[in-house]
Amino acid sequence: MTNKTAEPVVFSGHLKIPYKFEAGMTGTRFLKELRDNKRIMGLKCSKCNRVYVPPRSTCKECFSLIDEWVEVSNEGKLLTYTVLRTRRDAEDVILGRHLPVAYGIIKLDGADTGFVHMLGEVDFDKLRVGMKVKAVFEEERTGNILDINYFKPVS
Amino acid sequence: MANRVAITGIGLTHQAARRPDVNDAEMINEAVRMALADAQLEIKDIDAVLTNNMDGFDGTHLSDSILVDGSGAYMKSGMKFNTGGTVGSTGAISAFNMVASGIFDVVLTIGHQKQERGNTMGTLCGAAPGELRELVQGAIGAFAQAAVQYMKNTGAKLEHAGMVRLKSDRNACRNPYAHLRLGLKSIEDVDQSPMLIWPLRLLDFCPQSCGACAMIVASEKAAKRITKKPVWVADHETVHEMQSEVVFGGDEEKSQQIAAKRLYKRNGITDPAKDIDCFELYEPSSWEEMYLYEHFFLAEHNKGWKMIEKGVTELEGDIPVNPSGGVLATNAIGATAMVRIAEAALQIRGDAGEHQATKDVKTALASGLGGTNWTTLVLLKRSL
Amino acid sequence: MTEEQKEEFIGVTFVSDMPYDWAMGPYSGRLFEEMRDNKKLWGIRCPGCKRLLFPPEAMCGYCFTEVNDDWVEMKDTGTLVQFTKAGMPVFDNRTGMLKGAERPLSNVQLDDGPYIMHWLEETDIDKLKLGMRVQAVWREHGRGRGYEDIMYFRIIEESSND
Repeated sequence: MTNKTAEPVVFSGHLKIPYKFEAGMTGTRFLKELRDNKRIMGLKCSKCNRVYVPPRSTCKECFSLIDEWVEVSNEGKLLTYTVLRTRRDAEDVILGRHLPVAYGIIKLDGADTGFVHMLGEVDFDKLRVGMKVKAVFEEERTGNILDINYFKPVS
Repeated sequence: MANRVAITGIGLTHQAARRPDVNDAEMINEAVRMALADAQLEIKDIDAVLTNNMDGFDGTHLSDSILVDGSGAYMKSGMKFNTGGTVGSTGAISAFNMVASGIFDVVLTIGHQKQERGNTMGTLCGAAPGELRELVQGAIGAFAQAAVQYMKNTGAKLEHAGMVRLKSDRNACRNPYAHLRLGLKSIEDVDQSPMLIWPLRLLDFCPQSCGACAMIVASEKAAKRITKKPVWVADHETVHEMQSEVVFGGDEEKSQQIAAKRLYKRNGITDPAKDIDCFELYEPSSWEEMYLYEHFFLAEHNKGWKMIEKGVTELEGDIPVNPSGGVLATNAIGATAMVRIAEAALQIRGDAGEHQATKDVKTALASGLGGTNWTTLVLLKRSL
Repeated sequence: MTEEQKEEFIGVTFVSDMPYDWAMGPYSGRLFEEMRDNKKLWGIRCPGCKRLLFPPEAMCGYCFTEVNDDWVEMKDTGTLVQFTKAGMPVFDNRTGMLKGAERPLSNVQLDDGPYIMHWLEETDIDKLKLGMRVQAVWREHGRGRGYEDIMYFRIIEESSND
């Protein structure tokens, strides 16, 4: 008996686990406003005036509990972006969209935080930091962050 | 420990099967605010924040990164642990060590879990090496096998497991933070619950809960400033086993005995049943509690079941074990081992309310259990 | 409360699929080859503490000694030390779904000392007793998937001490 295998022995398998993530009371209110009213809502810290979008129920700066809901604009400024052109597993679809896709961080007017979302109706070569973008809502909304289909440039 | 360390603040959430009303950060925030209020501190008084859970059960990776707003860790020092069932105690012990080092004065440590989210059996397959995953039936399969062996080796009957379960429920009914408060009347109530894995019925095994526990740990100087009732950490011990095939049960010396021997020797404990006033033990199954009586030398080998028969481990008894209702009643896994320490500390403070043990608790022992039978022990005292 | 009054909470469900390639290493790799080709179990003797390591590995976790090539051919017979059978559906990590538990799960102490966790052929738990003698039933054509090349353990005689 030797210590040598003919070739490295590799045991391959899959570990599949189902999960359910709850948005919680705050997250649910945010998603319901997107779904029912096409409104983007934030929470404003009454102590340091910061507006969090998506909403956070505790202020990261002063640790106050926050419960003052404010509506922010559907429009904002693109802080940064990138374009996804290939995937390692050779699938060309991500979140139901064919590659390439662009996404970025948007600071909505009235918010103090960045908001990550997809970018659409734009020639990717024309994307610029600082450009003005606007939310485009889905017709059929389900209470999901993708009830906003994407953000498009405002001309 | 080189420097004295005390528990100076405790926060517990109510535990439940489901918490759809809060996300993870919001859930731990409830415990953090309660601990801060208990210690009469503000978040700015905290030097470091530790978070502790089982990532696989929560379906998260780097869970500490999504918890910052709730934990209060923003721009603070800290760490995250993921050591299985023991993780709540790992997080507490790490906080003790950080304060004992002299580098930190006041440390906040948080154990949490949302077990509504994933599938524990599936996740525990992932704790085995790839080639063994097909043969894993979660923790419950391993504890069921240990129960069968316990009956054969000791002469204990199913009714003894029933007695352990009834004790747990009586105590849990007096604990507002417990998850299952069932009001069980008799052993028949246990016997009528659905069979999970023979011989374990639903009520013989710990529930899946959502909840969090937070503790504020302070240096001697800070502790005396913060509270009139510091609970001192006398000592702690952690023992890891190998992933052998017989995980729980068996006749060989296990991590529990080794941990207990080391801790007792260092602290001059010769008869733990007399030298320690109260126990909060991590008992995932009613059978495991009887094993633990023996493993921690409260009973002779194979005689643990006689303690439950005699009633000495009741809340009113000479050797109260799990006056909180224990893990059989409440089990948000990442919090569970820390809840043992927190409940032991509440007993020493005399602040356990309705489930305060009858005898005066000056010394208490809390245990954790996880991994492939890893053991943690924390010895707490009213005065050092 | 009626359905309308009940507070709505939004959540998302998904199945996390984590494929893995688990390198067995040269020692367990050799074991898997022997199980596949010759229906044999092999352990390796630790030169430090003399324990028989199964599954074999490059180092002994007990005394932290590196092993050499002291391979030991092991019998595929043993004694039943623990068993159980699920009364509820159990989780199938390959599909992410629940499945019925067909066979009792057991711990067998092999005659050479080490333990092996595996299924039992006998599905009636009333017919099972700790201490029973059992033997591996091998798949006719090994697939190189280690423990899966054994189908289950079969009772070969009743225990003597019960």
